[in-house]
Amino acid sequence: MNAHQSVGIVMIEDDEGHARLIEKNIRRAGILNDIKHFTDGNQALHFLFEAPDGPARNGPALVLLDLNLPDMSGTDILARIKDEGSPLKRTPVVVLTTTDDKVEIQRCYDLGCNVYITKPVNYESFAQAIRQLGLFLSVIQVPEVEDQ
Amino acid sequence: MLATIRNRFVVSQGRFGRVILSFMLVGFLALIAAGIAAAWATARNQDHARAVVHTYEVELSIATARRLIEQAEASRRGYLLTANREYRDAYRRWAAEMPGAIGRLGRLTQDNPNQRANLAALRRALDTLFAARTQSIAMVDRGRMTEAMILFYQEASVRRMTAIRSTFDRMAAEERRLLATRDEAQRQSLQAFYVILAVAGVLLVLVMIASLLTVMRYTRDLARSRDALRRFNEQLEETVAERTADLSRANEEIQRFAYIVSHDLRSPLVNVMGFTAELSAATTPLAELVDRAETECPGIVTEEARLAAREDLPEAIGFIRTSTQKMDRLINAILKLSREGRRVITPERIDPAAVAETIEASIRHVLDDRGVTLTVRRPMPTLTTDRVAIEQILSNLIENASKYLQPGRPGQITVSGEERRGRVLLSVADNGRGIDPRDHQRIFDLFRRSGQQDQPGEGIGLAHVRALAYRLGGTIEVESTLREGSTFRLNLPKTFEAQDIKP
Repeated sequence: MNAHQSVGIVMIEDDEGHARLIEKNIRRAGILNDIKHFTDGNQALHFLFEAPDGPARNGPALVLLDLNLPDMSGTDILARIKDEGSPLKRTPVVVLTTTDDKVEIQRCYDLGCNVYITKPVNYESFAQAIRQLGLFLSVIQVPEVEDQ
Repeated sequence: MLATIRNRFVVSQGRFGRVILSFMLVGFLALIAAGIAAAWATARNQDHARAVVHTYEVELSIATARRLIEQAEASRRGYLLTANREYRDAYRRWAAEMPGAIGRLGRLTQDNPNQRANLAALRRALDTLFAARTQSIAMVDRGRMTEAMILFYQEASVRRMTAIRSTFDRMAAEERRLLATRDEAQRQSLQAFYVILAVAGVLLVLVMIASLLTVMRYTRDLARSRDALRRFNEQLEETVAERTADLSRANEEIQRFAYIVSHDLRSPLVNVMGFTAELSAATTPLAELVDRAETECPGIVTEEARLAAREDLPEAIGFIRTSTQKMDRLINAILKLSREGRRVITPERIDPAAVAETIEASIRHVLDDRGVTLTVRRPMPTLTTDRVAIEQILSNLIENASKYLQPGRPGQITVSGEERRGRVLLSVADNGRGIDPRDHQRIFDLFRRSGQQDQPGEGIGLAHVRALAYRLGGTIEVESTLREGSTFRLNLPKTFEAQDIKP
């Protein structure tokens, strides 16, 4: 990832355990960027769009998004981020969820999700997938957020 | 409700038939009675007419006889006065007709004792009269006029004539009386005829009205029951549609439930497995540490720490892993079943024999390893249904058959099929170890297995098979004897028809 800029990783994941495992494995892949974790959609949206240190006001970001959230569906957050006129519409979003339903996957890509990953139940595969995601994150370019 | 309607309908129809028949019978009887009465009345009328004619004949005969007597008397008297032979000849002519006239009167009044008595009296009077006349005429013939006149004076002929006339009057009166009696009888019979006719007419009108009412009531009943039937039919359709909608809603609810549960169960499982792996990874450096401490500084390693690092921790982690793996498999099974329920069925023409042969080819090495021979008996009826479902059903059944063999007997599996009234029956028969009759239903339940647990498996295959069979609008059942073999019969519609009504 663009090392000279501070690209923040925003992780929206209601399950603390999953969040911890994801973070651990990303770190193992050598990613040192700041990871902000939110367990519900409203806080996450507030941070993304309104917080002074959030991505909309302050630098580029990458979003790791779980679809099953207690207060709203992850697809709603995805839609808000990718909405026409949203300052974050070019922000890469990685959907990371347990659902492997075809319709759900299609819907996410239609809404503009950049990567869709199903969490494997098998931990080894899961860990490997996350590490590979970490490697992926280390090479992709993240666009600048447009000035308001 | 249907049965009640039909019964009421049938009963009403039968009763209606009987009622109408009896009405028609009564009507016919009334008509016949009227006819008989008319015939009887006509006969009576004719009788009466004959009687009237008879009376007039009798009266005519009486009048004729009287005229003859009076004329004869007049002629005789003329002869007595004038001795003119023409008078005598005239007298003889009248007298000669007399017996004929009396005889006819006798014939006509033969049936009446009163008249016969009258006639007898008349005959006697006439005999006397004619004897006297003959005598007086004979005297005149011989020229003894005076003697004849004397005889005539003595004769008291006026009295005799009066008696004869009154006899005739009696006879005429008798006939008049008879006629009056007959008239009365005729009037009565006519009256009886009219009464019968009126009764028959009233009866006919009543029968007509009653029949009309019955027919109208029957028609009304018929219309009512038809309406009821139609209403019931509509209700039935509505009810069926409602129930079907309810069912599919319930079914979808279950599918969604299974899907959500399996997904939401997976989420914590990821944690359990993930952190177990972390624990496992952490155990390795710990064990190394214990090993190193043991060699470098044995005093600080307690027995407990050594056991914990080398045995307790790996053992606990191992159990957690196998359990979570099993749980994962079970959840996957539920997920698979729930997905199967959501999968869209795409019917196409399928030859089950070809499907079975494809399966045989794909698991040939497994069959050979187990020493199992598979026979696909042709011809097999084709059917129009979902190919994937049929493949999964048959491969599950064939795999099961090849798995559970009777020890010491090479396995033989036969796949056959037949068509029966729009259904296709596919059978997979084996000579394996068989299934306990108590388990014949249980084996189709999820996670349930039967017999010795010496083969890997979670008890998912047959549950899956049954779910698929139901999905295709079919059924599956098993026939089996322990240690002899099992036959699974799949009963499917020849052509798949979508039954789901989306709410």
